[in-house]
Order: sequence, then C-alpha cells, then structure tokens
Amino acid sequence: MNLREKLGRERLFFDGGTGTLLQAQGLKGGELPETWNLLYPERIAALHRAYLEAGADIICTNTFGANTLKFPAGGQFDLETIVKAGVEIARSARAEVGREGDAYIALDMGPTGKLLKPMGELDFEDAVSLYAQVVRISAAAGADLVIIETMSDSYEAKAAVLAAKENCDLPVIVTTVYGENGKLLTGGTVASTVALLEGLGVDALGVNCGMGPAQMEPIVKELAACASLPIVVNPNAGLPRTEGGRTVFDVGPEEFAAVMETLSAYGVHLMGGCCGTTPDHIQALTTRCRSLPFVPPVKKERTVVSSYSRAVEIGRNPVLIGERINPTGKKRFKQALREHDIEYLLNEGFAQEEAGAHILDVNVGLPEIDEPALLTEAVCAIQAVIPLPLQLDTSDPITMERAMRRYNGKPMLNSVSGKAESMEAVFPLVKKYGGVVVGLTLDEGGIPDTADGRVAIAKKIRNTAAQYGIPAHDIVIDPLTLTVSSQADAALVTLEALGRIGPEVGCPTILGVSNVSFGLPQRELVNSAFFTMALQKGLSCAILNPLSAGMMAAYRSYRALTGLDGQCGDYIAAYGGQAAAPAASAAAGPAAPLDECVIRGLKEGAAEATKAALASGAAPLELVDKLLIPALDQVGQGFEKGTLYLPQLLMSAEAAKAAFEVVKAAMAGQSQEKRGTVVLATVKGDIHDIGKNIVKVLLENYGFQVDDLGRDVAPEAIAAAAAQPEVRLVGLSALMTTTVVHMEETIALLRQQAPQVQVVVGGAVLTAEYAERIGAHCYAKDAMATVHFAQQVYPQV
Amino acid sequence: MKVTAPYEEVCRYLGYKKGVRPEPEADALIRTCTARVEQVAEPRTVSTVLPLTFREGNEMELGPIRVKSAALRRNLLGCEEVILFAATLGLEVDRLIARAGAGRVAEGAIYQAAGAALIEEVCDTANDALRAESEAEGWYLRPRFSPGYGDFPIACQPEIARLLRTPERIGLTVTDSMLLVPVKSVTAVIGRSRQAIACHRQGCEACGKTDCAFRRDQA
Repeated sequence: MNLREKLGRERLFFDGGTGTLLQAQGLKGGELPETWNLLYPERIAALHRAYLEAGADIICTNTFGANTLKFPAGGQFDLETIVKAGVEIARSARAEVGREGDAYIALDMGPTGKLLKPMGELDFEDAVSLYAQVVRISAAAGADLVIIETMSDSYEAKAAVLAAKENCDLPVIVTTVYGENGKLLTGGTVASTVALLEGLGVDALGVNCGMGPAQMEPIVKELAACASLPIVVNPNAGLPRTEGGRTVFDVGPEEFAAVMETLSAYGVHLMGGCCGTTPDHIQALTTRCRSLPFVPPVKKERTVVSSYSRAVEIGRNPVLIGERINPTGKKRFKQALREHDIEYLLNEGFAQEEAGAHILDVNVGLPEIDEPALLTEAVCAIQAVIPLPLQLDTSDPITMERAMRRYNGKPMLNSVSGKAESMEAVFPLVKKYGGVVVGLTLDEGGIPDTADGRVAIAKKIRNTAAQYGIPAHDIVIDPLTLTVSSQADAALVTLEALGRIGPEVGCPTILGVSNVSFGLPQRELVNSAFFTMALQKGLSCAILNPLSAGMMAAYRSYRALTGLDGQCGDYIAAYGGQAAAPAASAAAGPAAPLDECVIRGLKEGAAEATKAALASGAAPLELVDKLLIPALDQVGQGFEKGTLYLPQLLMSAEAAKAAFEVVKAAMAGQSQEKRGTVVLATVKGDIHDIGKNIVKVLLENYGFQVDDLGRDVAPEAIAAAAAQPEVRLVGLSALMTTTVVHMEETIALLRQQAPQVQVVVGGAVLTAEYAERIGAHCYAKDAMATVHFAQQVYPQV
Repeated sequence: MKVTAPYEEVCRYLGYKKGVRPEPEADALIRTCTARVEQVAEPRTVSTVLPLTFREGNEMELGPIRVKSAALRRNLLGCEEVILFAATLGLEVDRLIARAGAGRVAEGAIYQAAGAALIEEVCDTANDALRAESEAEGWYLRPRFSPGYGDFPIACQPEIARLLRTPERIGLTVTDSMLLVPVKSVTAVIGRSRQAIACHRQGCEACGKTDCAFRRDQA
C-alpha cells in the first residue's frame, strides 16, 4: 500500500526531535544543523535509525532550514548537496534497518525565517521559488512525501504548498505552530488555517512544536472539529524552560505517550514528536498507541471561506457580503480606479467592516484598466489590513487566477456560470487554489424564466464541479435576482428557486439583493422586504450594502425573529437606547462651522459642514479657498510655532481631507485643477512609512496631486515615476542609517533619468548637512516644511 | 504578559514638550488609540545566557557572536556573561499602523508612539524578571544595550535573531536592511556581572544623542 492510501486509513508515527538531539551532540547555538548532513552524516544516520527502530513510520530529513536564504549560492555549503545528502542519509538509514517496505522519507521544510510582503520584505513568488528549488532536489533524490512544518504564517505555508504541488506528485503534509492563545504568530486560527490548507489540497494537516502534548489539547479538539483530512500531532516534550542558559524539556517518554493516548481519542491519525522528544519518547509512544482503535477522519462538508485570521462559515446563520468595492454605476469609484487610488478602496472596506459585513466583494473591472494587475494589487492591499475574507469578483479567468494565487486564505469567487466555457476555466482554479465559488444559474441559453430551469442549471454546475473533485459544499448557488419593475413575477421565480436549491441541489445559496428594485423609487424599501423574504426561503448569504440601515435592520430583525440571535443580544447591541438618534442627528445639521471643524480636527463634522454648505448653494472651490485652506494654514502655523502638536495637526489634516472628499464627490467627472504632481516614496529597504503618509495627506490638502509609490521602493521605480513629464518634485523618506544609502542611490539615478525634478528628503536619521551631501535639493524637518518646498517648486499661477 | 503604555511616554513620542497637555480632541484620540494598541499587542520575549569574552581592542565575543563596539564594551566591562534578549509586540500592531496608513494619519502617528512606549514597557517588565532571576543566582545586571546604541552595529541583528531563533519562537524577523519586523521589536544585550555597580543611566538618558527631539529629560 502506498503512503497516500495509508493516510487516514491507519495510524502512522512520525519521528521526534532533531535539533535538540544534535545540540546534545555538540551542535552550537546559531550553527545550521543541516551542515551536519555533510560534516557528520553518520550522526544523522544514527538518529534516523534510532527513530525507525523505535517504531517511527515516517522520518524527516535534516533539511528544516535548507533554503537559499540560509545557504546562498557561492557560500560555504552548497544547498543542493545538503538537501540531496539529507534525503540520501535517510534512505540509507532506512535500508540499514530493513524498513524499505513500510517506512517513508519526508522532505522536511520549515519557515524561511523572513516575513512575507507587505508586512515583511520577502515576495510571495520568491518564497514559492525558494521552496520549489528544495522540492525539486529532494523529489529527484527519492523523498516519499513533503512535510512543511513549524509554520507560523499561513501565507508562507501557502507558498510552500504551491511549491510542493507544482514541483512533485508526492503527498504534502503541513503542520503549524499555535500559541497558548490558540493562534499562529501571524494571527491565523485553527479554523482559518484548516480552510486554507484543505482548499489547497494537502494530504494531512496538524500541529507541531510550540507546546507540549498537554497544552495542545484544545488545539487538537478544534482540529478534530473542523478538519476533514487526517490530523497530525507532533508536540514538544513539554514547554521549553531555560536552565543554566540551556533550553530543557521536562516531559519524559512515558508521560508523553500517556498524554498522546488521550489526544488520540479526539481523532488523531499521525503522531510523533518535536523539540525535546527522543527515540525513547517515540518508542514509548508507538508501544502505547500503535494498537489503539483507529477512527478515520470525518468529512465535515461545511462551506467555509477564510482570511489570514478568520474563517467564515456559510450555513444557517446568514452571511453578509459587502458590495461596495465595485465601480459599477459609481463615478467617484471609477475615478479612484483610474487614479490608482487604493486608499479609496481600503476606506470602502473599512466602512463595510465597521458596519458589520462578514465578507467583502472586490471588483475592480473597468474596460480601460489592467484588471489582473489591479485586482491582485487591491487584494494584497486589502488582506494586509482587513481581517475579513474576500470574494474575488471578476469574469476574467486570468484575473481570477492571479488574485487567487496571492490571496492569503480560502477565497470566495464570484463567479462561475452554467456555461461550459466558464466552468472549464474556473473549476481547475478552484481545484488548485481552493475556494468557494458562486454558481450563477444561467448558461448558453440565457437565464431560465422558471425556477425549474434555474434548479436544473444549478444541478449541472454541481455535477460538473464534482468531476473536477470540487464538492457541493464549495459551491454557492445564485438563482439570480431580476428586476421586479420590468417583470412582475421576477422576485417570485427567484424565491421559488431559492427555496428548492437547498433540498434539491444540496448547495448553499446567495443573491445580489439590490437588483430587484432597479428603476423604482425608495429602493431600500423594496430591497429590505425582498431580503427578508429571501432569508425566510433559506438564503445563506447576500451581497448587499452593509451601510444601508434598512438592509441591516432586516438582517438583524430576521436573526432575532428566527432564534439565531440568542436573547436578541446583537439586535439590542445595535439598536438599544438610541431609538430616536438617527433622526435627531440628521435634523441638527453640522456640529460646527467648517473652518472650526478643521481646526478642531472633527472629521465627520467637516464632511457634514461641507455637505450642508454645498446644499445651500456654496461654490465648491470657494469653500476651499475661503474656509478650508485658511483653516489649514492656521493649524500649520500653530504647529510650526510649537503652540500645537502633531496629533492635532494630523487630525485637522484628516478633517480637511474629509471635506475635500465631499467637494471631490460633488465635482466627480469635472476636471479639477491640481497644483502639481509630487512623487512620494519610502526608499528601498525601508518599511517605516508613517512620515511619508503624513506628508501625503498634507500635500493633498494643499491641492497637490500625489503619486504615492509606497514603501520599500526600488530606485528604478522612483526614477520611472519621476520621469513623467508633469513631475517636478520627488519626496523621499528613510528612517534608518542602513536605508539612507538607498536614498543616495535613488537621488543619483534621478539626476540621470529625471534631471528636471527636485528632490526633498526627510526621515529620522537625516540632517540638513547629510541631505546636502547626498545631493537632495531640500531637507524637510517635518511635513509642513515639505509643503512649503512644494509650494516653491510649483508657484501659484 | 499584560503591560500598558504610560500616557506621558506616548505624548513624549508624539512630540509634546514636558508638562504640555494635549488638546481635548487629541487627548481623546491618544487614549483611544493607545488602548487599541494595548489590546492588539501580543508581547513576546525570548532570552538566553551566553559567555562573554573580551578580545583585542573593542572586540568581544558574545557566545558565537563577534562584535566590535566601544560603547558596548564600556557597558559590559566587568561582566562575565550576557543575556541576549529579544521582544516584540507582534504583527497586529504593524497591521494597525498599516491600516491607519490609508488616510488615518493621526491614528497612525499615535499607534506608532503608543507602540514605542509599550515595547519599552514590555522590555522593562521582562528585564525586571530577568534581574530577579539573576540576582537569586548572585548576578547583577547592567542596563540593556541594543544594536544601534552608539557604535553597537545593527549588522548584528541577523545573528542575534538566529541564535535566539526569534522567527520561530516569537515571530521576529530581520530584513536585509537590518530592520526588525514586526516594527515594534527590540533586541538587546544585558551584561551579567558578579560585582554590583551602580548604573543609574538607562534607556533614553544613556544615549549619546543629546540633541534628539524626543529626549526625555528636556524641558
């Protein structure tokens, strides 16, 4: 029987610790254990033999940290030689003890030690490449499976899994490290990690390192509750403790085995050890647990999507998918996409998250933009700062694949239809990357007029997906909302189909609710009534505007009325003690005049005051010149004189920005005069960007167009942006002595490739003298100084 | 570890002069944002004891790490061992700061300041525990000294991280430019000596950069 057949059908045992045992044999702190594959191969072989003799069925190669970051080309040790030796030592050890028939060699891969972008500096595809290299070497050398272990970042785990699956056909097992808070170091939960890994199609998953077996109990319980795959548990020999400068572990072999026996009762299929465990631990473990009753993994058949830190189940409790990150019918949003204003998208995301959305739909489709690049960029930006799972919304399979690949979780996909072409394009992606896909009940014949027709297409989608190995619970059927004003029975047909999909097709359901009221006045009234009717028919999730009070009221009321909101807690939390509040605040008007709102830093107040002024007929540009700019000047002068401090300056800037946003929306579509373009970037190697962000807000308030290149930007990218004909000023920021060199390099390149631009620099380690030495035209000690310099470079016409 | 960021320290990092009370609106935002940082932070620390050997000139060996630094040498004179120490507030604070990057710059600046104040507090708390342990074994501790202080090169960061296995143990990584990620992180060396020496100057006051805008003892 090969390993894949054994997984989930019989209990298998992993080996135990490696690093801790090598340390006992003289491996020094900081020394790379993998070098011993070449320096002391016999010691590694002896360890493998000891584990095999203790009853381990799977031994892990001594390659945990073997990658090009730790073994760069041209270094003292060659990566390929080390990895190959690691596999060969394990193979010969297995042969020596006569276990070729029933023991397996696992290529062991651990974390890279670098954090992935955007929080860290390692690019996702670079991570995939460096794992891929190791996979190829070891697959050729004869490894039987890949174990990706001690992972504390789901994103890095995803990179490693893709590398394994794209470069070999071996089974892939992934174990992650949970802290005592039940989370990965990067925030993932058991449920979110399981969703991601099962979506990627690994063969088994579980937990290792970090804790001893006893502390792992809650994690193991949770794994058993949400995983459908075989579960691996490889604990340390207790919690690490320092004694006289050395790390020690206290749980002995018998105690270890006894606790593992308890854990196995929850449904553990592969067991072994990690730091501090020895062949004696594994011997005790196999002796005690080998013949325990084996309970195969149970398929959970739940519909789950995930983000880096959150799993959302689509089931009995209705799920709200925020629809606002979508340009359809929105001038201001289209403008943001054309201007590459990711910040605008993020703020739409924040608002929906705060309003109670569970998932965010992300659609950036506009005819004139590069959709694959922009959706990927938007997804990466959103998932870095918003913990909600995303629904990738595109009709283009190339765009979908690129965004899925970079998505840090198991995404929702919008959408596939019953058309053969659509299914052929989308299902292979779902199979490879994982996801829950929305199936639209339309096909080559269009949208059926009857519920029968839509249910039939739903079945076709489900059956075709099954041929690709995609289960029914990973498909959410959309019976399609048509417009009631143009077809009297439109809503009724949709509702009938909706009610039949659960029982007849076995899939959850979804609707984009708002379409029903197209062409009618007071659309929210119809939408919220239709939403309630759909919920009553069993709707599992709705794509809607969570900022709509009516829709949220329908949702909260439905949950309260159907017992989904225990003791109406959520309902009371949302509406308790504020019955008359919404009407009152609307009637009261703005809290203070616009200029006062800006000076005091009242964001909502400034926006309201601007709306009120525009409504009463004020000219937008006059508001800017007569009220906004003078208020900003007053605050700026206070800051420069030292009578007012940074937080107040920034709050005022944000209040002004909120007011400008209202003006901008009022003028969307009209061409707006900009004072001039300023390219801003935090230089290569530097990831601290608060200073740059502050400068950006102030420059924008003073009417400058800012081309914000972000942080850790290569000199070439800055030069390319600066070479645009309208650019006269580039602002660079660097915070560390180690990154100021890149600032100097950037300025030198700008001199060559964009000689017309002036350069202003700022950052904690800079001084006026240093700025001059590296060739900057201006040193700005703070954000206001940058504004003044920009005003000099672009004088008012 | 439950630790809070002292309000006065947060204000100092934001540039408020000693004795200046923030404006009411700013005060409210500072308190809200500081609480948010305290809520999402997951302070973690890790340390190990290494032998200390003084070599030629200003060279030293901290276990396997070779360092050349006059300032560190001054700090460690009379010590036989060092504690190598690292601490971080975790990645959620980075996310909070990044989230504010989308136009909520006032919050961003305050998260930054609160994070700075909080990580110092985390280090102080962890150091107190290490001091108590060391004193029980008859050791006296020197003030902690971090790469980047004086001429203690930040190029030591990768070796410190590797030795303490900070990526796996506390999620702390070092970039090619020697920056620590998560950003609110600290690595440090703490000397262990058999002799008690009065060390009053610590942290901010011990730094040679007396013209720093954030210096604690300025009026």
